[in-house]
Amino acid sequence: MAKKAALTSVLKHSEDVVARDIHGEFIIIPITSGVGKADEEIYSLNKFGKAIWNKIDGKKNLKAIAQELALKFEGKQTAIAQDVLGLAEELLSRKMIIKDK
Amino acid sequence: MKMPDRFADNVFLPEAHLWEGSQGKRFVLSFDLEITARCNNNCRHCYINLPAADKQAQKKEISLSRIKKIIDQAVELGALWCLITGGEPLLRKDFPDIYLYLKKKGLFVSVFTNATLISPKHIELFKKYPPRDVEVTVYGVTKETYQAVTRAPGSFKAFSRGVELLLKNNIPVRFKTTVMRENLKELDKISEFCRARTKDYFRFDPLLHLRFDQNQRKNKEIIAQRLSADQIAFIERSDTQRRKTLEDNCHLFMHPEFEHIKCNHLFHCGTGMLNFVVSFDGFFRLCSSLCHPECIYDLKKGQLAQAWQEFVLKVRDRRSDRDDFLKKCRVCTIRDLCIWCPAHAYLETGRLDSFVDYFCEVAHARAENLKKHMPVS
Repeated sequence: MAKKAALTSVLKHSEDVVARDIHGEFIIIPITSGVGKADEEIYSLNKFGKAIWNKIDGKKNLKAIAQELALKFEGKQTAIAQDVLGLAEELLSRKMIIKDK
Repeated sequence: MKMPDRFADNVFLPEAHLWEGSQGKRFVLSFDLEITARCNNNCRHCYINLPAADKQAQKKEISLSRIKKIIDQAVELGALWCLITGGEPLLRKDFPDIYLYLKKKGLFVSVFTNATLISPKHIELFKKYPPRDVEVTVYGVTKETYQAVTRAPGSFKAFSRGVELLLKNNIPVRFKTTVMRENLKELDKISEFCRARTKDYFRFDPLLHLRFDQNQRKNKEIIAQRLSADQIAFIERSDTQRRKTLEDNCHLFMHPEFEHIKCNHLFHCGTGMLNFVVSFDGFFRLCSSLCHPECIYDLKKGQLAQAWQEFVLKVRDRRSDRDDFLKKCRVCTIRDLCIWCPAHAYLETGRLDSFVDYFCEVAHARAENLKKHMPVS
């Protein structure tokens, strides 16, 4: 079950994963046990997912991230905010991002 | 630009989009880090081992700081996977530092080890930062056979303890064996042992190549351990899994005629296409066995990117007009059943383009096995 995030959540990248841009593919690689299946599994983000990932910095909340992305991508800001929230919850459930304390 | 429905895919490594469109292209996918040539075993067939206490060999080993620089450059080039090998890599006290550095750079890491030096500290490390796999060679399943190969008293007990530690802690282990005269009689039991424990598949290798350091005394020991061509054909025929794989794919191994028959390039394999090797003394090699002095690049004097982008192309462009090569190996229709390659030819004969009788005998014995199963054309 996905962990809950809200548009007010401030999130940051987990130190248990490494994000790499390899030969045109943006992938999140788990390096410790308990994050994905570190021996085989990788998590691949498309350019929109990558844009969201790169905005997650432990400072901005998800609403601010959605506002910035709305300037770059087509779509209603509310719809973009829902997309950002959806991906954030998925990444949270995989422990690839964590809530900033 | 519209936002898409999905942003991410959870994929298993073998299915990653990375492989799409990679056919025939050169890019760095992986590399081997051969961190030592020393080993605590003294195997009869080994192509690299130097004594564990060999101070001279230890002095030549690339330092941790140099290894880190090489890893940084490999990651910069896009490497996704690294194999730590040796010699016995666990002999190096800084093995955990090397391993952890690779992991923290976002590389998948495999380790080749004889398992005899596995300690609870290694287990702790592997549990927290899992390897993609640990690959262990099983020389025998009895003390007598195992130690007849390793010539190291106490090695069977240490191996058994190491394997048990790995398996008990659910570390992914792949088992394999090298078949030679010394352990041939135990092959069935070794196969049974490995298949019951391996994380995915088990493979055996009956083809022994000669030493990188061209030590003639040790080369004689390796040659003495080689199985005959008929013995190799027999064990491949007797192993159900190997036989089925060979039969299912015999169309890939045996060509009615060889393409590009007029080409005099030496290298037609994948060497230097997706991976490279860093030797224990800091030399870049296109593949593990390619030790010809004109085919290695000193990373102490140059950068990895230069080796990959310029040096590899020069090596791959090497040609030969000798009849030995052009009229025999180059046009051989069963060359994919043969261990012959420029690297192995050099280890045998001192030339990259020489014919090797033993390799040819083995390839023909394997082909005889397969001919019975070739579709009628």
